[in-house]
Amino acid sequence: MDKENINLGTEKKGLIFDIQAYSVHDGPGCRTNVFFVGCPMTCKWCANPESWNKKKHIMFSDKMCKWDKGCAACRNACPHHNIKFDQSGKPSIDWGICMKCDTFDCVNICPNNAFKQVVKEYSVDELVALLRRDFNSWGPDGGVTFSGGDPLMHYEFLLEVLKKCHKLQIHTAIETEAYAKQEEFLEIMKYINFAFIDVKNMDREKHKEGTGVYNDLVLSNIRALVKAGWKGRLILRQPTIAGYNDSVENAHKLIEFMNENGLYEINLLKFHRLGLTKWEQLGKEYEYSNHGDMTEEEMELLQRLYLDNNIACYIGDDTPF
Amino acid sequence: MSSNETKLQDVLKSRGIDIAQVDEQLEAEIPEAKESSKKLMETYYTLKVTADMEVPYWYNRSWWENDGELIEVRRARAMGAALAHMTPTIQPYEKIVMNKTKNVRGGFPFPWTTSSFFLAQADALMAEVDAPAENEADAVSIVGAGGGNVTKSYGNIISLAKKFGMRKEEIPVLVKTSEPWRGVSIEDLADKYSRTLPGYGQYRDLMDSVVCMFDSFAIAQGREVSNYYVPLEYGFDRIIEICEEKMAEVMGEAGDDGILGMSRGYYYAAMKEIVMGLSKWCENYSKQAAYLASIEQDAELKANYEKIKEVMHNIAHKKPANFWEAIQMTVCCHLGVTNEDAMSGLSIGRLGQVLQPYYEHDIREGIMTDEEVIEILELYRIKITCIECFASAGVSGGVLSGNTFNNLSMGGLNKEGLTAVVPLEYLIIEAGMRNRTPQPTLSVLYDEKTPEDFLMKAASCTKLGLGYPAWMNNQGGMNYMLDNYGPEGMNLEDARAWCLGGCLESSPGCFQPLHFDGKVTWVPGGASPTCGTGVHFLAMPKILELVLTNGIDKRTGKRVYPAHNKNLDSFEAVYEQWKQYMNDSILILNKVNNIQMDVWRKYLMPAVNSLLKPDCFKKGQHLGNMGARYNASINVESCGTITLINSLASIKKNVYDDKKFTIEEMTNAMINNFGFKTAYETGVFSPDFRESTENSTKYEEIFAACVNAPKYGNAIPYVDQLLKTYEYDMYKMVHSYNSYYGKPLYLCQISVSTHGPQGFITLGTADSRLAGTTYSDGSLSAAPGTDKNGLYALFESATVYDHGIHQNSQMNLKLHPSAVKGLNGTRKLLDVVRAYMRKGGFHVQFNIVDSKTLRSAQVTPDKYRDLMIRVAGFTQYWCEIGKPIQDEVIFRTQYDEA
Repeated sequence: MDKENINLGTEKKGLIFDIQAYSVHDGPGCRTNVFFVGCPMTCKWCANPESWNKKKHIMFSDKMCKWDKGCAACRNACPHHNIKFDQSGKPSIDWGICMKCDTFDCVNICPNNAFKQVVKEYSVDELVALLRRDFNSWGPDGGVTFSGGDPLMHYEFLLEVLKKCHKLQIHTAIETEAYAKQEEFLEIMKYINFAFIDVKNMDREKHKEGTGVYNDLVLSNIRALVKAGWKGRLILRQPTIAGYNDSVENAHKLIEFMNENGLYEINLLKFHRLGLTKWEQLGKEYEYSNHGDMTEEEMELLQRLYLDNNIACYIGDDTPF
Repeated sequence: MSSNETKLQDVLKSRGIDIAQVDEQLEAEIPEAKESSKKLMETYYTLKVTADMEVPYWYNRSWWENDGELIEVRRARAMGAALAHMTPTIQPYEKIVMNKTKNVRGGFPFPWTTSSFFLAQADALMAEVDAPAENEADAVSIVGAGGGNVTKSYGNIISLAKKFGMRKEEIPVLVKTSEPWRGVSIEDLADKYSRTLPGYGQYRDLMDSVVCMFDSFAIAQGREVSNYYVPLEYGFDRIIEICEEKMAEVMGEAGDDGILGMSRGYYYAAMKEIVMGLSKWCENYSKQAAYLASIEQDAELKANYEKIKEVMHNIAHKKPANFWEAIQMTVCCHLGVTNEDAMSGLSIGRLGQVLQPYYEHDIREGIMTDEEVIEILELYRIKITCIECFASAGVSGGVLSGNTFNNLSMGGLNKEGLTAVVPLEYLIIEAGMRNRTPQPTLSVLYDEKTPEDFLMKAASCTKLGLGYPAWMNNQGGMNYMLDNYGPEGMNLEDARAWCLGGCLESSPGCFQPLHFDGKVTWVPGGASPTCGTGVHFLAMPKILELVLTNGIDKRTGKRVYPAHNKNLDSFEAVYEQWKQYMNDSILILNKVNNIQMDVWRKYLMPAVNSLLKPDCFKKGQHLGNMGARYNASINVESCGTITLINSLASIKKNVYDDKKFTIEEMTNAMINNFGFKTAYETGVFSPDFRESTENSTKYEEIFAACVNAPKYGNAIPYVDQLLKTYEYDMYKMVHSYNSYYGKPLYLCQISVSTHGPQGFITLGTADSRLAGTTYSDGSLSAAPGTDKNGLYALFESATVYDHGIHQNSQMNLKLHPSAVKGLNGTRKLLDVVRAYMRKGGFHVQFNIVDSKTLRSAQVTPDKYRDLMIRVAGFTQYWCEIGKPIQDEVIFRTQYDEA
């Protein structure tokens, strides 16, 4: 079966929106971080909304566009005549049309990177070749981190890549929401050395409200992983958002859950608004443009709560790896 | 430590998580600079850069009084007279003393090297106006207007070379001192013979078009590594005795060398003269300190002057007996050499390894503590920072950016092939972290044998965002040494003694036995003359432009090369013609340089440096007579490597492979700046500032194709192979020319600051760079904004050839401080360095960008086009982020730094 799968694997494609080298906060050592597109959740505060579309698409940056310096290079580029100019010469697009398009003529003519293609297709071999190249540069502790979106959305592709990493003895990490079929999730985790799993809210309804889905599958997957005797290092992660999941009550529930499952490391990520421009470049409204902020003091109070329960709690990139 | 941090450590320990690392998780606080450093730096910041006529006056007077004397003796006597008559200036709180001139930040003109400028401008100078630009290269060079630079005349101060302020009353002395050199300065004599060359017209065309940046004889010494061995081993009185013994032995004896054998006697006579000058110079400082002690009321300062008096008196005669005297002796010799010629890039070398025996002695004997040694090293930094180089605006601003590159190297291997790191080198880094001055810049010679804790210490210094230490590949450097100096007999042992001259000019060295403290220590030091003169700064992208325009500079309308009239019907035809023009350039530029440097060595043979450099003192020959152990030290310097490579890739891809447009259309688009306004029109020189004209539509498809052509730095074999071919071709090309020492040239790939002025004179290039904007910097940094596949892909591209074949390569990287925060961050920074070194990268240096930089990036975003912020799970270009978010990030960064 293995052999058959590998043969198939070489034809499988993964959709990836970014590969970041020298990624230093996503697992031990220096890493290459592979960001997959596609996400089962639609978190309202998402910092990487370009990962939601599970196909190649464009982003358009107002700030990069040099219409004000007289550039109109894209005027005839769009096969759908979807780039419209106002009286001052400023271009605008109808996102409904752009999201269905796959020609990228606008990207090819724009010299300013205002139009850019954000998703690229990789075969298993292409991605593994790139990882083997970067293997030379990670140093003793580093490796690859699969992130997204959620890499589990590319189950078959990811599994093939992981098996090859395993053979090459490449250290593997994953950043996931663990929202996938249990057998698939466990199969993937067999080849993972280090995992961050997001637990966005312990409250079922609130989880659905913020992310679009219930948390049942997430929690049961974590339980199953522990039960299966997984040998890797597991760190829970929570993007901490004021008014959503920063309550003491939520923390207590999470602590209880961690204690039940013998987990003792959590990483709280202070809400940031760095993804705002990406929402704009995708023509989307950002609900969190003016709330959700946490202060340093509030973060430290939460951290204290975990520490008092003998759970190692790290804030942001202040981690011991 | 906050209570959460303590608690976290407890939790981690109880959970058994990586305790060893966690224990040292918090970085040690860096202590403040010492009081004395702070006081002297306060003064330094208020000082202007000066030029005065004391040294030129005494040099001139002695020189002409000794008309008819044997040339090497006459030169050394004049130099010695200049040193012996210089007014000693000592500031309160100084412990390490001596200055280049009577002023703290001082330089002086060298009319015996170039007088024409001063003579031609005599009337203007006398009329107290700004010194006008000297030549084309000066006219396009911009000297930073801030800090101590005197870019304009004011009050009683006249601006020279857009940098130095000279007092009005000294201007007549300058003019008068220059007068006797009319027609007989190095410049004039060299020009007289250069004019006899059949290719002289070609030479002028290259210089006037700034295709070649400057004549390197203007800074005839430097870009080399100092050697302090002889005075440390013997002391000045004993050196004088040895000179007398040697004169008795070899005067009148030619040995078996009918050409230079007789010179040995005169050499030792000359060395006696210069050492007497050096000794007198020290003694004058001792006397000045004695005087200051006599009038000082403050007990502490008085004691300090007494100490200086003692140190300066001792080193005026005896070999150093302790650390203080030894480091003071090195300062004396270093400044002595910098006063012989307009000097930039006289590197200090592996000072820690040289001074370790003295440090060890003093610590053991209780003479000094580590903290006292650190104070001396902090003050040493200020002393070196004050070294100025008086040269034209083109040299000091356009080439050097005002820096004199006194590089201090650490690490590497010792004579036995084991790590050379010594305890004193940890303190040198510590002093550099506490007293953050531009000089000496620090370099780590990275070797797999270098101790990890030393590398961590160095990385924790790099992290401060000071730009030092930079990291060099020790094995790569040794390979280069053996390849380049092997024909002169260099063995593995000497190869281990190499280090950086100037900013990045790998220079050969050797080990010598220092007898001190009852034992012998083999100390490394430089063993060659300058490793940084030759054919200097070829604007390679401009030469490619001239291939396309059949030899005519379309910016000025002047012809630079003879028309090649070739049908450029293939990529190979373009590349071959580019090599032809390169060859045409090097051929004539090398001949002119050889004449210039030969005239220089005949009249201005180094005196102090010919005492210091092995094996001059052993052989009895000065540096001009190849007294040094290694002499294949002359080079060709390139500028704009990556702009060239990306342009070639675009032409190959768009014109010849994909046939999107013709070479004529490409050329036409370049001449018309792709329809954009030129930087000359807009005044904005940033590569990504583009203002369209009514012509833009004509070129937008060509321009987009140029933008989208494969770019270096992304691990794309299509373009990286061009780089590889280029590097090996250049090796062959430059090695086919010989220097005035009769040795092959080699390639030096540092642009320093020349990618600014040479970019200025270059039209739009096929890689989509617009007219007048800078070339990509260094030799292996990606063009701004074009490395889209991250650091590791850049490393892959950069190491497609063996870096050991050339003198250097240069890689500048920017990192955000969040990537290197904490002890883990230091380790991860070291991981990056090690990754690049393991792949064979020769040099890497980092800009760790802090909130201050971010704030200025906000004001001038165009300058920071390639600045990315990296936060967990997120990456974005700084310039693409809105101001409110930028403010937030700045705030976060500030918070992190607090």
